[in-house]
Amino acid sequence: MSSAIKILLADDDKEDQLILSDAFEQIGITNVVHFVDNGENALRHLEQCYVENALPQLIILDLNMPRMNGTQTLRLAKKDERFKHIPIIIYSTSLNNIEKDECIRLGAHSYIIKPLTFSEYVKSAQYFYNLCSTN
Amino acid sequence: MKEIAKVSLQNEMDLILSHRRSMKLAELAGLSLSAQTTFATAVSEVARDVIDNGINGYLVLGIYTATPQKSVAAYIYDSRTNLSLQAPALQNARKLVNRFQYTGTPEASCIEMYYHLPTVVRQLDQKITEWQEQFNYDAPISPYDEIKRKNEQLQELADRLKASENQYRVLTNALPLIIFTLNRKGSIVYANNWMHTYTGFTPDQINTANWKQVLHPEDYSSFYSLLGDIVTTQAGNLKLQCRIREAHSGSYIWHQVFVAPLQEVHRPDDYFIGYIVDIHAQKEFEQASRDNTELKATQQRLKENELELTQKIHQLNRSNNDLEQFAYIASHDLQEPVRKMIFYSDYFSKQYAHLTDNKGSIYLENMLQASHRMRNLINDLLSYSKIRKEVTSFEQVSLQKAAGIALQDLELTIKEKQAKVTVDVLPVIEGDFSQLTQVFQNIVSNALKYSKEQEPLQLHIYPETDNTGMVHLHFKDNGIGFDTRYLPKMFTLFQRLHGKDEYEGTGFGLAICKKIVDLHNGVIDAVSEPGKGADFIVSLPETQNKKQ
Repeated sequence: MSSAIKILLADDDKEDQLILSDAFEQIGITNVVHFVDNGENALRHLEQCYVENALPQLIILDLNMPRMNGTQTLRLAKKDERFKHIPIIIYSTSLNNIEKDECIRLGAHSYIIKPLTFSEYVKSAQYFYNLCSTN
Repeated sequence: MKEIAKVSLQNEMDLILSHRRSMKLAELAGLSLSAQTTFATAVSEVARDVIDNGINGYLVLGIYTATPQKSVAAYIYDSRTNLSLQAPALQNARKLVNRFQYTGTPEASCIEMYYHLPTVVRQLDQKITEWQEQFNYDAPISPYDEIKRKNEQLQELADRLKASENQYRVLTNALPLIIFTLNRKGSIVYANNWMHTYTGFTPDQINTANWKQVLHPEDYSSFYSLLGDIVTTQAGNLKLQCRIREAHSGSYIWHQVFVAPLQEVHRPDDYFIGYIVDIHAQKEFEQASRDNTELKATQQRLKENELELTQKIHQLNRSNNDLEQFAYIASHDLQEPVRKMIFYSDYFSKQYAHLTDNKGSIYLENMLQASHRMRNLINDLLSYSKIRKEVTSFEQVSLQKAAGIALQDLELTIKEKQAKVTVDVLPVIEGDFSQLTQVFQNIVSNALKYSKEQEPLQLHIYPETDNTGMVHLHFKDNGIGFDTRYLPKMFTLFQRLHGKDEYEGTGFGLAICKKIVDLHNGVIDAVSEPGKGADFIVSLPETQNKKQ
């Protein structure tokens, strides 16, 4: 697997981070996901990556996070000329159509409901990886 | 002539008085003793003739102040018109004075005699006043003089009183108010003309009927009992507002009646005096101002009630809002742990199944199902609490499109159940698209759930319009149906007609539909019978009133 693939995932839920790591591991991928626990840290990380000329190929955002939530982070990232080209996937528990519509309107690549089973997590991981490879 | 003294000429005593007064005036006026005697003699001569032969004679003494020749003057009046100037007494008198003059009118005669004042009297007018006082207040010359004076004063008073009474009578008759006096028994003795003019009845007629014909029937008893009171006690006042019938118009007009005992009784029959005055305008003004006050008070109360209501509505809205916020936040936060429960029990049953026995696996499976039920419940609660007025936005909604999306979401179940759903051409109405889609979804999924086992579901969705501006959407199926007496329960939260084991569900579906329809100012209803299918009818206005 290419070590050039990089994914930024912002989620305050440590268990979800762990489960998704397991899911990536299941398909043989390690060390490609950088975890942060809120939107502010996500944007800070992006700044740093920009300086190092090593921007991630995919951003995954949870919606409900402290300090800066997913929607705000999405809005700011899509306004920023340096980051607007990076696809952003919203990864949330919320089944709210209004939130979903809002995220798509703000330029999210897709809106994915967090899975209920491990096998679905593995599918998600595969989907994310594939998205990076095609970009 | 400025009058100083007056003497009536009736008998010998009057003659003496006339002589003495003439002397006195002449003396005061500064005439010499002989002149005094001459003047007094002239007066006496004429006075004697008038006393002897005249009628209602009298003497007036005074000062003639016309320039150039000022004089003491004596005027002797006599009611006779055939007075003879040739009488010896008059001829004698004529020789004694400076000027002698006779004046006659059809009613009376008057002999005027003047005796010139010898010198100029300074400040004559002031002197005359002093002399008048002297004649009026000087000690009487004799007992006769005293009686005579008093008699004269009395007569004058009586005359004045009579004149004054006449004046008052004229005055009271001219007044537009009723003035009357009553005797001790309460009967009218005197009344001014206005009583008759206004009431159309004479005092006698009013006495006979005891006032009954002039007073309003409703006021009569209180008037009559008050009148009875003051007649019985012979004291106190009667003061009453009552309606008096006006003869001219036949209508009753508000009056103030006042009756009080006279302080001093002037005539033998008068005991009470009273008046009746028109206060209709005042009464109407009072009524109007009272009405106005009442109106103001009512308005004030209304305002207070309105304010209270507004506050209550505000409180209610706030608590409603709080509740919805709470439900939304609670269910949102509840979702996360439930999802984890599902995840871990699923993970455990897959990865570590070999570590448990059969019973353990069954329990794990039960736990998973319970977690799923809880997740559904939370989701429905979330959906329910999300339907709020603040997030409802009205636009032109194609019901056809909404139905299409709902059916697409349920496609899998429809195929599984081999159901046949037909949708007629549906209109465009004003509403919230996602909410209306949910109505379609919930009712169709209900129909799928409660279809007969042995017979595939046939659901027909069709509109019905009338001229009231409402669209009635029918969802007619051939399912298991229900007894319509449960209808009110079905639209309430958590109400289920069936046990959990019979049919899956949280009981939120129809409650959500009702909330959405309510927000659209519509009505949801159903017609059904157990075993004979159901027809859910959603009635929605074609347009929404923007003010709501």
